[in-house]
Amino acid sequence: MLQRDFGLAWRQLRREFRLSEYLVLIFALVLSVAAVTSVGFFANRVERAMAAQAATLLAADAVISSPAPITSEIYDRAAEDGLRITDVTEFPSVVLTDEGETGLVSVKAVGSAYPLRGDLKLSQQLYGKEKTATDVPTSGTVWIDPRLAGRLNVVVGDQLVFGDNEVTIASLIAFEPDGSVDAFQLAPRLMMSSDDLADSGLLGEGSRARYRLLLAGDESSVETFVEWFEGTSFPNMRLQTVEEGRPAVRSALINARRFLGLAAAVAVLLSAAAVALAARQIAERDMNTGSLMRTFGATGKTVLRVVLIRLSLIALLATVVGCTVGYLAQFGLSALLGQWFAAELPAPNLTPLFGGLMCAVLALLGFCLPTLLRAIDTPVLQVLRRDMPVAKPSMLLALSSALIALGLLLAWLTRDWKLGLLMLVAMLIVIGILTVISRILIALSVRVKSGYLRRALESLRRRPESVSLQIAAFSVGLLAILLLTLVRNDVLGAWQRQIPDDAPNFFLVNIQPEEVSSVESFLSARNVQNDALYPMIRARLETINGEPVVDIKFDDRSGERFAERDFNLSYLQEQRPDNKVIAGEWWGSDPSAPQFSVEEDFAKDIGVGIGDELRFRIADKVVVGEITNLREVDWESFAVNFFVVGTPMGLDDKPATFVSSVYVADKQGEFVRDLVSEFSGVTAIEIGTMLKRVTGIIERAALAVQYVFLFTMLAGLLVLWASVLASRRERFREAAILRTLGASRSYLASSTTREFALIGLLAGLIASSVAALIGWVVIERVMELSYEFNLWLWVIGIFAGMAGVLIAGKLATRPVLNQLPIAVLQSQV
Amino acid sequence: MIISAREVCKSVSTEETELTILENVNLDLAAGEVLAIVGPSGSGKSTLLGVLAGLDSASSGTVSLLEQRLHDLDEDGRAAVRAGAVGFVFQSFQLLPGLSALENVMLPLELANISEAGSVRQRSMQQLADVGLEHRLGHLPAQLSGGEQQRVAVARAFVSTPKVLFADEPTGNLDRATGDKIIDLMFRLRAEHNTALVLVTHDESLASRCDRVLSMNDGRLQ
Repeated sequence: MLQRDFGLAWRQLRREFRLSEYLVLIFALVLSVAAVTSVGFFANRVERAMAAQAATLLAADAVISSPAPITSEIYDRAAEDGLRITDVTEFPSVVLTDEGETGLVSVKAVGSAYPLRGDLKLSQQLYGKEKTATDVPTSGTVWIDPRLAGRLNVVVGDQLVFGDNEVTIASLIAFEPDGSVDAFQLAPRLMMSSDDLADSGLLGEGSRARYRLLLAGDESSVETFVEWFEGTSFPNMRLQTVEEGRPAVRSALINARRFLGLAAAVAVLLSAAAVALAARQIAERDMNTGSLMRTFGATGKTVLRVVLIRLSLIALLATVVGCTVGYLAQFGLSALLGQWFAAELPAPNLTPLFGGLMCAVLALLGFCLPTLLRAIDTPVLQVLRRDMPVAKPSMLLALSSALIALGLLLAWLTRDWKLGLLMLVAMLIVIGILTVISRILIALSVRVKSGYLRRALESLRRRPESVSLQIAAFSVGLLAILLLTLVRNDVLGAWQRQIPDDAPNFFLVNIQPEEVSSVESFLSARNVQNDALYPMIRARLETINGEPVVDIKFDDRSGERFAERDFNLSYLQEQRPDNKVIAGEWWGSDPSAPQFSVEEDFAKDIGVGIGDELRFRIADKVVVGEITNLREVDWESFAVNFFVVGTPMGLDDKPATFVSSVYVADKQGEFVRDLVSEFSGVTAIEIGTMLKRVTGIIERAALAVQYVFLFTMLAGLLVLWASVLASRRERFREAAILRTLGASRSYLASSTTREFALIGLLAGLIASSVAALIGWVVIERVMELSYEFNLWLWVIGIFAGMAGVLIAGKLATRPVLNQLPIAVLQSQV
Repeated sequence: MIISAREVCKSVSTEETELTILENVNLDLAAGEVLAIVGPSGSGKSTLLGVLAGLDSASSGTVSLLEQRLHDLDEDGRAAVRAGAVGFVFQSFQLLPGLSALENVMLPLELANISEAGSVRQRSMQQLADVGLEHRLGHLPAQLSGGEQQRVAVARAFVSTPKVLFADEPTGNLDRATGDKIIDLMFRLRAEHNTALVLVTHDESLASRCDRVLSMNDGRLQ
């Protein structure tokens, strides 16, 4: 029985496969599967890279990290538990070459047993033969990241000035077990022995270093130690085990997956619309087939089975083709984003294939099956009487199954129920708005009196629903792509434009208190425009009004983040002219009592206001004070600013380093070299490089999302094709009548050209205008920068709209032109 | 008795009124008998054919097809009665556009799970050869002329050697000469298989070739 039904389904499919409605259905499914699996394969590769590195990710079984040197109590306990340990200290610094080139580095001073787990690989030249390190850098030598070697144009054996000393580059780091997956690491690595650290003069009290203690041992010893550590209170120290992985990379991956997932979701939504349109065409055909089969004795179940087998075959075919396309497309994503996550991504496994199949099955179940099922209910009598009322799919069933399928798909794609639901509602609203706009434009355009466009306008007037759907579907994809182009060019451009030419271009950090006056005279001797030198104290917020911050539930996630980590406190006697007090009073009536001034947005994030009491822990001391004013800060000025500033009272006796921002007009390399050679511990961070890196990341991210949106634009074209198919019978008849009356083929061809060019023009116009409007709102209102309307946005939008719609429309209507009029009039098509 | 209909009525309700299409129809058809139902358009001929074949149900009265009381059966039960035992020829051919001539002919055999007396494929090819289309096996309906399409439909109707054939205006979409050929073919095959035939037509000369002619007017048989 099943074999027979399979045979019937297969034969139908084999022939009907070439029919346009099946092609639309299959293309739409292939597109959704490809969009979903390209993201899936890419995420899978990154996840596998992370899994492969999990054991060595920390270079240890557990790591304790702290902004201050780790207390001896912990060392003693680790020794007691029989664990192997080693130290790692990380901090930013600057190196100098003999040629005067300077480079910002992320220094990692490692103990002699490093790494405890995994291997550190070294090479002698760029991409040269790798060997496993058996030791750590010997005294007076360093190992560096090949990126640094390239940037400074140095090779193994060259000298670098670093701190108080001159060091020799002994090797290049080819693979660093606990460093290679550092997403967004700004500065390249420089590795040295921790024995050299003390003599280097690089770290003073209060320096911005991160201290880590690596621990390894047998499982039970590590567990015992972890239990002890978690049961004891060590403020500011954090324990990380292998299971936790790297939260930064993990959250970067989750975010990347979510954004790309959202982009893929829009493609799936539009493809689903094409599936639904094609399903209606197929159902019409199936009604006839179904009633004929039942006339010849097939039961309803047989017809249902044949339909289900056919759909399964289609799902399988779409999955295979879609996954292949998705697999090829993920290479593009890996090229754009892969380097953020790991040096080399392993090949993906087959898990995303399941996701692709699920996507195809869900799209078919949600958007196709309910319509086809109604075909089975068509009265058998239809074979005798063509005028029988045709069974219409139940709107409620079709809509609810479509929404459930979409909801499931979106939740799965974004891995977040709430976000999926929100996305569904947002997408429906966007498409709704675009449909309304296109309806209005159609209504306006049909009033246009033009002999040239007469037939095109008539076509719009006759099919306003179908045309507005075509416009909305196509403009969604186009809008997304234009918006991301806008982000890449205009938004970043507007932001960069507003930075004044003489804005600070270097941050000077790690200035020791005793160096303050000499740094000031160094700067004035070179006529360098600078901000004041501000003290900076590492502190941790412990309580707000006596309530421990760990117990407070913050409304805002950034508030939670700030409350959980160390941040920088400063103190100041006189109010700064560039900070405006917007509530309260600067150090009020009793400046001798400890008080705090909080930046207005930060105050909102952590939910505090004037009169609230904050308690900070600074190393082993605490400072308690009341908030007496809120400040407005202009962050875009690139001047040094702080979320929380206190009165000198209570803070000026705490360990601090000083920080400043300077504008160096020219000979910047010379300035950094002189500064570093005179003050070895001071680090100059070039803001321009950081900006470039940040904008580079945003640009690449936008490009990657845009890449996935290409699927959306193709899906928009499929919707257009599908909706043209829906009007095909009518078009066939019109064309036949016109040709019978003497219209030439070229006349018919040119009137369809005008019709689709007009639809494309409207779609392009809507997409570019909405993109420009959103760009204007974001730049002028949200970012409060000035937006320059870019005419190219319309030129590109309208051109892309006309080209896309014209190609798809002409392809979809080609059979109409090629059909003999007699065949149409005799109802053979 | 192949068909037995007693006091069959069929009415449909429209928004304003109740419309009677068949009124107290009584009819018997013996094995191998050839019956023509004639009448003007809209007299209820096709509706009666649908009710007799179990494609539609009567509002009241009883219909038995091949000794099975149709009103006791649901849609699937009626389909099971038809499977392999009832053939159809329609005015508009009703071939599946996606299937070739051969596959269209194979369809009733497959649906009735008939596989004895040679393979389904062999039998269907033989039947197509019988109607003179052995050279058109792989053609799709759209590639065949109207006459050829109706010959495929005739082959499909006889391939399962049905006990009864229902033909609804089989020449309605064909020219006279082609129509005559189709009728000759249908009558020849019917005689060979001793199949009973119910022929709905408004063509008096065609009706005169049948054993019995019943005339339908305003839903009543005369």
